[in-house]
Amino acid sequence: MSAGEVSLILFGAFATLIALRVPVSFALGLACIPVFILDPRMTPIVLLQEMWKSYNAFILLAVPFFLLAANLMNASGITERLVGLARASVGHLPGGLGHINVMVSMLFAGISGSSTADAAGIGSLMIPAMKKQGYDTSFSVAITACSSVMGVIIPPSILMIVWGGLMSVSIGGLFLAGLVPGFLMAVFMMTTVFIYAKSRNYPIYQRASFKEFIQASGRAAFALVTPAIIVGGIIMGFFTPTEASVVAVIYSAILGGLIYRKIDFKGFRKVLYESASLASVSLFCIGTASAFGWLLAYYRVPQELVNLLAGFGTGPIATGFIIALAFLGIGMFIDAIPAIIILGTILLPLATKAGIHPIHFAIIGVISLAFGLVTPPYGLCLLISCSLGKIKMVHAIKDVGIILIPMFILLVLVILFPDMILFLPRWLAPNFL
Amino acid sequence: MASFIDSYYHLLRRVLTVLMGFLIFPVSLQIISRYTGIIPRYIWTEEVARFCFVWIIMIGAMIAVRDNSHFDVDLLPQPKTKRSQGKRNLIVHIAIAVLALFFSVYGVKFAQLGYIQNSEMSGINMISIYISFPLAGFTWLLFVAEKIAEDIRMMRNPGKGSPL
Repeated sequence: MSAGEVSLILFGAFATLIALRVPVSFALGLACIPVFILDPRMTPIVLLQEMWKSYNAFILLAVPFFLLAANLMNASGITERLVGLARASVGHLPGGLGHINVMVSMLFAGISGSSTADAAGIGSLMIPAMKKQGYDTSFSVAITACSSVMGVIIPPSILMIVWGGLMSVSIGGLFLAGLVPGFLMAVFMMTTVFIYAKSRNYPIYQRASFKEFIQASGRAAFALVTPAIIVGGIIMGFFTPTEASVVAVIYSAILGGLIYRKIDFKGFRKVLYESASLASVSLFCIGTASAFGWLLAYYRVPQELVNLLAGFGTGPIATGFIIALAFLGIGMFIDAIPAIIILGTILLPLATKAGIHPIHFAIIGVISLAFGLVTPPYGLCLLISCSLGKIKMVHAIKDVGIILIPMFILLVLVILFPDMILFLPRWLAPNFL
Repeated sequence: MASFIDSYYHLLRRVLTVLMGFLIFPVSLQIISRYTGIIPRYIWTEEVARFCFVWIIMIGAMIAVRDNSHFDVDLLPQPKTKRSQGKRNLIVHIAIAVLALFFSVYGVKFAQLGYIQNSEMSGINMISIYISFPLAGFTWLLFVAEKIAEDIRMMRNPGKGSPL
C-alpha cells in the first residue's frame, strides 16, 4: 500500500469514528485494524506489541506521579495558601481577583505538570469568589481556563515529559525553555485583566502591607520550594524526571498528611485512585496513538510530506508556522498527548529539514497544543471551568477568544525568535542541547 | 449478572488504588539506594515499576469503559429523543466491542508470546504482564455488553430507563 492510501484509511477511519463519538483512544486503535488486515506483510499482533512498547517506558511513570502530586497539593489546601500570597502581591491592581487567578496559576504550574489539575483546583476556589465580587461569570471562567494552560508550559510539564521521552529531547532542556514563555504568558494575561478591569470597573483590594506580604509568603513557603526541588533536581542532575516526580509526590504527601494535616488515610486512598484513573485514560491513548504513528512511519508518510513541502522551499519561519497551525488544528479535536505522538512523528522530519532546533520545535508544539485545552469542541480546561462556573461553553467563548489574543502573539514571537526560549538552556545547561 | 459485574468492577478499582500506591516504592528505593547506601542498589526496581505501570494503564482503561470516562469529542448536535440517543450510544458501544474483540483474540496470542520470554532483570515471566491485554479485551466485552443491553432497552422503551 502507498503512503497516500494508508493515510487515507487511517485518517478517514479515525475522523469518521471521532464524529460518531467513539472515544479517541478506541478510534485510533480501530483505525489501524483495516491496514493490518489489508496488507499481507502485516500481522495484527503488531498493534499490541507497539502499544506494549510505548507503555514500557520508565520516563512515562512521571505522568501519574506529577498528577498525583498536583492532586495531593490541591487536597492539602496549598492552593489556598498560594491565593493568599497572590492576594498580598497583586490583589491591589485593578481587577484584583483576575490577577490573583493568573498569578496562582503561574505558581501552581511550577508545582504541577497538568493544566487540568490547575483548572480544577484553582477554579473551584476562584470562580465562586470572583462571582461574589461582581465579576462577570464568563470572564471568571475564561480567565481561569486560559491561565491554567500555563501548567503545561511552565515546568514541570507532563506534555514536555511525553515529548522528550518520545523524540529523545532533553527534558531538562525543555523545562528550562518553557520558563520564559510561561512567565511572559502570565504578564500578557495580567495586562488583559488590567484592560478588562478598567473598562468594566472591576473591584480591587487594598494594598497589602509589607508585613502581610511576608506572612503570606511564609504560609506558602513550603509549597514554593517544590518547583526548586523538581526543576532544580533535574537540571542539577540529582534526579531523573521520573524520580523528581516521586520526590514531588512524597513531599506533597508529607506536607498534606503530616505538616498541614489535611489528608488522612482515606483521603490519600481517594487521591491515589483518582490520579491513577485519570492518568491511565490519557496513557492508554499513548498506546493506540503509538500504533497509529508507527503505521504512518512504516509507510513513510512523514517523508512523503517532507517531499511534498520541499517543493515550496519553506524556511524555518514558514515551517514554524506550519507546525503551529497543524498542532492548533489537531488540538481542537483531540487530547494533547495523542496529538504529540501522531503529529510529532509526522512533523519531526520536516522540522529537522528546515533546521529548527528540537527544543524550539517542541516548545512551538506545546504552546500550540495549550490553545487546544481551552478551545471547543474538545477543550478540557474550558469544560472544567465552565462546569465550575455553571455556565455553558458557548457563553464563555467570547471572553476566551479575547484572552487568547495575547497568547497568540506570544506564539508568533516564539516562532520568530527562537533565542527567546533557547538562551536559558544554552546559558544554564549547555549540555542539554 | 449485574451484581457480578458490579463486584468485579469494584475489585478492579481496589486493585488500581493499591497498584498506584505500590508504584511509589520501587522508584523511591532507587533514589534512597543511590544517595544513602542504606540499601543495596537493586537493579530490578526500574523493571518492576514499569510492569506495575503497564497494569495500572490497562486496569484504568478497563474501568474507564464502564465509567464512560474515555475522552470523546462532541461534534454532532445532541439527539432529541431517547430512541436516537440509544441508537447513537449503540454505535459507540459496538465500536468499543470491535476493539475489545480484537484485544481478546490477538491478546491471547500476544500473551502466548510472553510465555516463552522472561524479563531481563527480575526474571519475571512476561505472560504475567502481557496477559493484561487479553484481560482488557474480555473485561471490555463484559462491560460493553451491559451497556449494549441498556442501549437496546432505551431504543425499545424510550419512556423508561435512565434519564438523559
